[in-house]
Formats: sequence, structure tokens, C-alpha cells
Amino acid sequence: MKFSTQIPSRLDLLPEFISSLLEKVKVLPIKEEDLFNLKLSIEEALINAIKHGNKMDPHLMVEVNLEAKDDQLIIQIKDQGEGFDFKNLPDPTQNDRLEKTSGRGVFLMRHLMDEVEFLDCGRIVKMVKFLKKGDKQ
Amino acid sequence: MKIVQEKANGVVIFILEGEININTSPELRKAADTLIKSNEKKVLMDFSAVTYIDSSGLATLIEILQRLKRNGGILRLSNLSEKVKNVFEVTKLYKLFEIFESKEEALKNF
Repeated sequence: MKFSTQIPSRLDLLPEFISSLLEKVKVLPIKEEDLFNLKLSIEEALINAIKHGNKMDPHLMVEVNLEAKDDQLIIQIKDQGEGFDFKNLPDPTQNDRLEKTSGRGVFLMRHLMDEVEFLDCGRIVKMVKFLKKGDKQ
Repeated sequence: MKIVQEKANGVVIFILEGEININTSPELRKAADTLIKSNEKKVLMDFSAVTYIDSSGLATLIEILQRLKRNGGILRLSNLSEKVKNVFEVTKLYKLFEIFESKEEALKNF
């Protein structure tokens, strides 16, 4: 399975857009719990791309590529921003940062997906979820 | 998201339903704002019908908690599904919030 799409940088469009992406992956062997984590990771990546990458400019698009091959689902989300320093993100679970109201998006993606990698200076996030035959919703 | 408000023994209970996400969390913030302004101090949010929460939803709950605490108030959460509870565990936010298995449990000794 291979699928590419894009979305204008508008947060109000996210629920329907994410639902349509999840419909595409429902045919794959993914447990319901992983589907929840996938949804959360995709949403956090899209919010980052729209808010921090494209600075909420509705004329700028966010590209999404889904590819299921062998035993993995690969999702790449690309914005048109300037990138960011993904190597020096503070740990939001440190006691002195627990009450912060931001900075959990990338952390959640890294913990809920099997692999997360930033490419092109942070403009692209590549997330991988391993698929196991027999895993059903 | 749907918010139904109840009051029992001086505790304001928000029965939340649906997703707490970047688009719906402003509704929750607004509802909490109204009760904090009316000087309510004991708040329970029941999550039994909450199907999803994202980092914006978590941030909104942290804001509400901080505002209540500043007023000498208390915020408790109850009935989190396993998937929602996992988000609190991964982010270690269970350290910040008082989380209870049931509404009845949360209402004890409030």
C-alpha cells in the first residue's frame, strides 16, 4: 500500500483528515491500541507541521506519505518551514518540566511509534510502526 | 466533545464525552474558566466516555489544575480508559494529577 496526500495548514481540517488516513491503514494488521497511538502520533506530527513548520499559513501545504511494506507502516509528514533543532528537545517528563503546557508532541511520537526520525533539517518526520501478522483490531 | 456538569456534595463534576484534542480543548478551558471564576474549588473530571486525548488536551488540563491550585482548589480525574491512561503514564503526568479508578472513589474524602 502506498498513498500520498496533502492538507492546507488549518487545524480545523485535522479531525476529518486524520480519520481519512486511519481508514487507509485499517486494512493493515494493527491492534486497536496501536491505532490509538498511531492516531496520536500522526496528529502531533501534523500539529507541529502546521503550527511550528508552516506557521499556520493556510496557503502552505503539509504533505503526508503512507507506505506499508513488508512488516512495517512508514508515515512521512513534511512541512514547508525552516526546520528545527530536533536534537536538543528537553525531556517533558523531568519533574521541573511536568507542569509545562507545551513540548510533549515529539516526545509522544517517539514513545508511541517504533521508530521516529527527522530528515531535511526537521522539515520531514518519518515514523515507523512495525506490523505483525495476526494483529487485528 | 460533550461536557455535562453536575454537582454533588460541593464537588463540581464534569462528565466528559468524546475527544479532548486541539480543536475541542478550548471548550473544556471555557467551561473550567466559568467555574473557577465562580470560585468553585473542588472539581472532578470523569473520563469514562473520553475516547482520546492529545498533547493540547493534556496542556489544557495542566492549565486548569494550575488555576485551581492557585485558588486553593483541587482537581481530580476518574475513569480513564487504558489507552488514555497510557498517555498519562508515558508523559508521567500521573505524578501531577490525582487519578482515580471510579467516580465514587474520587468523590471520597474530597
